[in-house]
Amino acid sequence: MNRIDASEHYDESGFTGQTPSLLTVVIDTNPRAWAAIHDLLPISKAIANILVFINAHLAYGNENQVAVLAAHTNRAVWLYPVSPNPEHPPLARRRNGSAKDVEMAGPDHHGHRPREPQLGTSANKYPQFAKIESSILASLRSLIDSTSPSDLNPTTLISGALSMALSYIHKTSLAFESPKTSADPANPTTTPSAKTAVPNLHARILVLSVSQSEPAQYIPTMNAVFAASHARIPIDTLALYSAPTFLQQAAFITNGVFLSAAANPRGLLTYLMFGFLADVDARASLVVPTQDSVDFRAACFCHRNVVDTGFVCSICLSIFCDVPENAECLTCGTKLALGNYGAKPAVIPRKKKKRKRVNGGGREETGSATGTPGPA
Amino acid sequence: MAIPTGATAYKKKDGALTLTPDQKTVIWTPSSAAAGPPTLSLSISNITNLQQTPDTVAKVMLKIFERSAESAEPVSYLFHFNSPSDPRAEANAIKNLLSRLIADAKSNDPNLPKPASGAATPVGAGSGSLASIAFAGTTNSKSMVARLFDDDALRGDIALQQSLLKADRNLSQMYMEGRKTKPDSMSDTNFNAHFWSARINLLRAHAIESSQKRGPYNVLAHVKPILVPNEDPSKQSELKIKVTQEQISAIMSQHPLLKRIFNENVPPLNQNEFWERFFLSKLSKKLRGERPTGLEMPDKIFDKYDEYEDITAFSSKLLAQHVPHIINIEGNEENQGGFKSGNRKDVEMRPRGRTDVPIMQTLNSLSEKLLANVLPADNDPESSTGVDEDTYQELTLRDLQGDIEEHRIMLNIREQSRFFSSDSGGASETAATFSRQNPTKVLGGVQGDLRGLTHDGLGGVNIHSSLSIDDGSESDDEEKPQPHVGSRESRKDAQKQILDSMLQRRAQLYGHGPDDTTPMGLPMEIASHCNLTHATTMEFLHQFWSAFLSGDPERAAELGYLAEALKRSKDRIEVVAVEAEKAREEQIKKRRAEIVQIYERTNKRVKFNTKSIRGGREAVTKLMEPVVYSLDKAAADYQKALGAEGLQASTEL
Repeated sequence: MNRIDASEHYDESGFTGQTPSLLTVVIDTNPRAWAAIHDLLPISKAIANILVFINAHLAYGNENQVAVLAAHTNRAVWLYPVSPNPEHPPLARRRNGSAKDVEMAGPDHHGHRPREPQLGTSANKYPQFAKIESSILASLRSLIDSTSPSDLNPTTLISGALSMALSYIHKTSLAFESPKTSADPANPTTTPSAKTAVPNLHARILVLSVSQSEPAQYIPTMNAVFAASHARIPIDTLALYSAPTFLQQAAFITNGVFLSAAANPRGLLTYLMFGFLADVDARASLVVPTQDSVDFRAACFCHRNVVDTGFVCSICLSIFCDVPENAECLTCGTKLALGNYGAKPAVIPRKKKKRKRVNGGGREETGSATGTPGPA
Repeated sequence: MAIPTGATAYKKKDGALTLTPDQKTVIWTPSSAAAGPPTLSLSISNITNLQQTPDTVAKVMLKIFERSAESAEPVSYLFHFNSPSDPRAEANAIKNLLSRLIADAKSNDPNLPKPASGAATPVGAGSGSLASIAFAGTTNSKSMVARLFDDDALRGDIALQQSLLKADRNLSQMYMEGRKTKPDSMSDTNFNAHFWSARINLLRAHAIESSQKRGPYNVLAHVKPILVPNEDPSKQSELKIKVTQEQISAIMSQHPLLKRIFNENVPPLNQNEFWERFFLSKLSKKLRGERPTGLEMPDKIFDKYDEYEDITAFSSKLLAQHVPHIINIEGNEENQGGFKSGNRKDVEMRPRGRTDVPIMQTLNSLSEKLLANVLPADNDPESSTGVDEDTYQELTLRDLQGDIEEHRIMLNIREQSRFFSSDSGGASETAATFSRQNPTKVLGGVQGDLRGLTHDGLGGVNIHSSLSIDDGSESDDEEKPQPHVGSRESRKDAQKQILDSMLQRRAQLYGHGPDDTTPMGLPMEIASHCNLTHATTMEFLHQFWSAFLSGDPERAAELGYLAEALKRSKDRIEVVAVEAEKAREEQIKKRRAEIVQIYERTNKRVKFNTKSIRGGREAVTKLMEPVVYSLDKAAADYQKALGAEGLQASTEL
């Protein structure tokens, strides 16, 4: 066949060799934080910049994929691809609507129909870009619209979004796996050993963070981070506002990139394109820009404070900012031995004159390395 | 045997040192009350060590270390033999008796696995020596093992510490430096105690390491002839075998047969000849477990002997000693009429099985011999009553017994969310910002903003205009444009930040080439000074905190020394910094002179930037910054604690 249609000169290995790359963007949609930086970077502009970044990622390879999540103040929501279960968001909204009263349900709210992505038919826009764009916009609008003022926590549920992103990545990588294994027996000439070593999907997570890490989420966040690290999925973070401590650690643990654009959020597009566009494969041969100092502090388990020195249970490794009650570990109930911790530092010898004599005598007599027993 | 008595002085009082008639206790009675009860009595079983002044010294003293049941630390008693006639002889008599008694007491220790009484049943030549080796092993290992787990013993063992310092150069450097720079008010003893108490683990590791010896190995297999080509090509090349004296003695002890042959034949033969012939003989091949090729030269002496003698003689002896009848396969054989009936023939473990695979037997027999020299880990199954239980237990087939209840420590994890009840005490800057916000307004703002995304009229976003990047306008921005998202300025800043962090990262990943040996451009010598100063400072810090946090008023004086040591540490860092600065200036001077020379020779000016010479004070300060910080912190804490007591540091120290 090949000879007949003269397609021999196509070297297909160049195409098959490309591993699809999945970019999962988690957008922190904490309305309070966005409102706080509105003068510098309104969310609308940020979304436009992110769209450009997403398009750039997609344009890099035919098989590249993208997924977008919103980490909101009270839940994590898929922006793209839209949840296959369309019942859920309207339900939630209806519940919200019935619970809240009229003040919230203005005419705007009723008139808006978020669940109908109108495809932009502009000839200037690649249809796939347009599809993603409209999906993101519609979901985001409906998410913000369905938020009531009482939902406005100071921080977002980043751990939930990370977990959802990880499960999506896992699902996608499974989808990529099956055709490959079925194709293998068909052409056994391919090197199977090399194939197994190479992951079938390069996934990474980019968190666009605007809120501070909430210590209460320390454990779930770290669980997600370690899962990502195990699956070799880097978690990148671009902090536009405040300092997300845990995401900083996440980037460090997963070999991701952490950049803080808090000083200059207006350069968002440059940060995205320059700092985060390279996928896992490319990063192997690049020097990635990442912050060199990492805030390694953890949140204690007892008061959820971020601590720099604390106590760690020797059995279950729980962290405490102060000695727990009765010196009993809150998590596993182990009785912890504290030694003579907390003893008041004694800087003055108790009886000065007497002590001197004892000390001198002791040295003379023993000459051994151990101290002389003093007066009881 | 008469119990020796020695006229001795103990704590400057004259008296008599002797033993009780039952030889269980050492007693000392002062001569002032010779008739009375002894003032000092030491039980032999508690004596851990004896020390005597060497024969060359005029003063004769005996030191007895006793460890009583309650104290971990051995207490020493020093007796000065001052008899007018012959103090040396008296001391020796007592010492010899004591050391014999102590050895006896140790070997009778019921806690110890007793070596089999091998000497009683001599089967082949050399069995006695085996048993005695095992015996010696037991007595030594007991005290050794006990010592390894005893922190106090390790801390007090100066010989061990010396040997560790000798072995670890870095440590010894640090020790010397620390000792040199410690405050004068701190005694050497004190410093020693601190230094080693923080390094018990090192001491233990060293003690274990130095107490280990290489076990016996299959020597015969290691001795291989080497073919040395003769210098004269017409002659045959020679076979050479190198055997050391130790190897020969090991061969002898592993192969009693060979020892016998040696004894029987060496007077007529000379030694070299004996070994030469042995290594060429069939017997040597057989003892190694090789198959004879038939090409060996016949040998009148060695061919007479059967290698099975070597194998069987030993194994039957071993069996007789160690194998309880309940698991004695040879015994079963006697009972059941040999291995011809019943199970499949055993190939490997037969005393006289397959002659075509001789290596199995030789290896088996050799392994048995090697193991016989090793201290047995299990009890002798036949030694006393009750132990047989263990043998029965060993025989049970455990996997037929169902699941055994697991003995694990339960870890009860309580629901963590319980602790994270409700309030989030976010007292941060952002929280303050958020608290000023009006939630409804915030939401409305964000909603409005989202709706305001520039539409392209077809339901999508006009991305290009949303980005507000105008390529045309920026070329000449004389009048500063309004800062906006995506402005050239902001993009430039972002780019700079990213490039900077890339540079930083690059330096971290690949470093500056020679940084391994000359960190931050510091010359090697100064870098090693830095290292040493850092290590000593850390050492003092360590000691300071352990004393400071102990809250023990007994250690308060010590804490004073340590605080002073910390103060001096800072001075030491300063000294290193000065030194580094001097080195850097010298480098600069040298470079300048070079430039002048070049200029004089070629009339070319070479540009020189002093900044290109790194190192100096700046580098040292940078390297030492964390240490200095921790020093300051320690000093501040100490001052605070002093202040709380209403005292000034200066008056106290």
